[in-house]
Amino acid sequence: MSARIRNKSMKSLLYLFLILLSVLCFTPFWLMIVNSTRTGNEIMTSFSLLPGSNLAANWKLVDDNMNLGRGFLNSMFLAICNTALVSYFSALTAYGLAFYKFRGAKVLFTTLLIFMMVPSQLSLLGFYDLCNKLHMIDSYWPLILPSVASPATVFFLRQYILSVMPRSVLEAPRVDGAGELKIFHQIALPIMAPGIATMAIGAFIGSWNNYLIPMMLINTPEKRPLPVMVAELSAVRDITTNLGATYLVVAISVVPIMIAFCFFSKYIISGISAGSVKE
Amino acid sequence: MKNMKKWIAILLSMVMVLSLSACGDKASSTGGSGGGSSSGGSSSAGGNSDGGSGEKIVVWTLANDLKQFAERYTAETGREVEVVVFDSADYSTKIMQTLGTQSSDVDIFVGEPQMLPNFFEAGFCADLSELDSEVSSRLVDYTYEAGKDEDGVLRAISYQATPGSVIYRCDLALEVFGTDDPAVIGEKFSSFDTIVETAALLHEKGYSIFGDTGALRWFSISASPWVRNGEIIVDQDRLDYFDAAVELYQKEYVAFAPEWSAAWYASMAGPLPMNAGWSALDEVDASNPETQVFSYVMPSWGALIVRDNAADNIGKFGVCSGVCSFFGGGTFLTVNDYSKHKSEAIDFIRYCTLNDDTAQWWLEASKGDVVANKAVLEANKDYENPSFNNQHTYEFYMAELEHVDYSLITGYDDTCKEAFGAAIVSVQEGKQTKEEALQEFYMVVTTQYPELRIPDDAPIN
Repeated sequence: MSARIRNKSMKSLLYLFLILLSVLCFTPFWLMIVNSTRTGNEIMTSFSLLPGSNLAANWKLVDDNMNLGRGFLNSMFLAICNTALVSYFSALTAYGLAFYKFRGAKVLFTTLLIFMMVPSQLSLLGFYDLCNKLHMIDSYWPLILPSVASPATVFFLRQYILSVMPRSVLEAPRVDGAGELKIFHQIALPIMAPGIATMAIGAFIGSWNNYLIPMMLINTPEKRPLPVMVAELSAVRDITTNLGATYLVVAISVVPIMIAFCFFSKYIISGISAGSVKE
Repeated sequence: MKNMKKWIAILLSMVMVLSLSACGDKASSTGGSGGGSSSGGSSSAGGNSDGGSGEKIVVWTLANDLKQFAERYTAETGREVEVVVFDSADYSTKIMQTLGTQSSDVDIFVGEPQMLPNFFEAGFCADLSELDSEVSSRLVDYTYEAGKDEDGVLRAISYQATPGSVIYRCDLALEVFGTDDPAVIGEKFSSFDTIVETAALLHEKGYSIFGDTGALRWFSISASPWVRNGEIIVDQDRLDYFDAAVELYQKEYVAFAPEWSAAWYASMAGPLPMNAGWSALDEVDASNPETQVFSYVMPSWGALIVRDNAADNIGKFGVCSGVCSFFGGGTFLTVNDYSKHKSEAIDFIRYCTLNDDTAQWWLEASKGDVVANKAVLEANKDYENPSFNNQHTYEFYMAELEHVDYSLITGYDDTCKEAFGAAIVSVQEGKQTKEEALQEFYMVVTTQYPELRIPDDAPIN
């Protein structure tokens, strides 16, 4: 009896804590949404949890100054290409590093680890020069192609596949005469799916939020992705006139991230428990 | 497994659809911009080299102003101008990066006065000497000086002048001083000593002279440059500035609402509690005594900010001169030396800066921006500005511009001002004595610029 009561009070405490946590997480989002309906001056001078009445005017400012749909399409295109490339090629590399024994495998893996530690901002100057020499400035290629090689994802997926897929799984298909690529596509890839999904969320969000590199490389306004457009919007006039509109665009721009999260989170949660060998 | 396949299929099809739609839009957008020859994503440097007479010039800038200029220009001449706005935080990097590779993707770019020397030195800016005589005779002097490189070659031209002013509340001036005459009020701001006296008078009536002591920094170049003959100059004027800033702070003569804070904006529209600081207004301790901010020290564009945030106080502001005349900010246009459309670019710059009609139009369209064109300023001299108590604001700013001494400006100003400001703050907050703070100021500046010397008569031992 007392154990049940204790259990219950434990549970309500837990719930209280979780509710508090979700409120804490949700408040900034709510503030962002609220601020997108207020004037810049209101945002600068006061704080409110209730929406204001300036949504239409903010929208008009956004509509006058930027092509939101265009930016959305650009960002979406980049994010999806990046996510697809990161997912597939990192999985391929990780699989190779995990299961094939070849000369230099260790060296390769160590090199990978070293490159993980170099922040991408550091190589920006060289990267810009490279793109310039290849005549790739103001095109999407340099924003998409480098995601084929993402050491951090490879590292994660290698550790992941080593933990979820024993080497013995490969024996059966090999005996049955499946080609190595077929084994990867039909056996390894599905087993890795939860891990890939986790990384894909990161890749999608990273690409969606990427500001510095597109800002440097893209010159034509029509080709700009959303974050660069938002920065432009906040620059066009004095901050007090733009602030509400900027909030509005930011609020709109997080919607795809939320959708992406909903879409992938199923895989993450299932991925934590799922494995190829069932107990 | 089935799910996985489905998932990949969906993803791939989305990629395909989107890439198709993106390409389609791209083709139509370049096609729409007049004789587009390239439609693929592969074109890069050749993006603006599509032949024909309708060659487009590309302008990189920091605000929307030039978009309006470009629209008007296109309407009048039929020549196309593409204006791209960048966030100021990354603008210099973007320019350095792009032009560092001798790119011809941009034809005209802008720079604020403090950025220009770097751009000149890097060799990015084309020689605009062909406009030299016109610019020197028709535009405000300091803008001409600021647009020249070390060798005196004109490389940048501004359509805007940004003279400084003290923007003050006429209604409060009438109450405290019995007059709101700009000449009389200007006297009260004519030196750091009188500013402290004025602040004391205002304080008695419950008003604050400035939002924050930072307002005084605009007057930091009043008599001598920060650096002369390789020596860092801290003369009596600067020490007065130092003392005044500390006194205003310690006697609580200012409202402690720093520039650009929420409270600062709010102070333009009405009373606010003391000590609002950087916090949102709702969080300010309401039991603090209320105060009203009497004045703001800002360049002419700052006067527009005050006006736009004045709400019910609109029309109650006046402008007068302060300790010294100064200028701040401003947008200078310059032609990319690697541009393939130099003559077209120069034509656009000429249109923006030297055309009287454009200047008059901009003065009206911007609702009060001070243009660099002297003839147009002269023509608007008698304009009674309803937002500023029907004062002749252009006449006032013209007079201020006469007194701006560009020879006092050096490339070290930003660093010196910042370090000096930091020294003031540390004394205000009681962290350091004046002596220690000044010593640190010299150290900060000489660390950043080892070529500078501390003179023998420096106010430290």
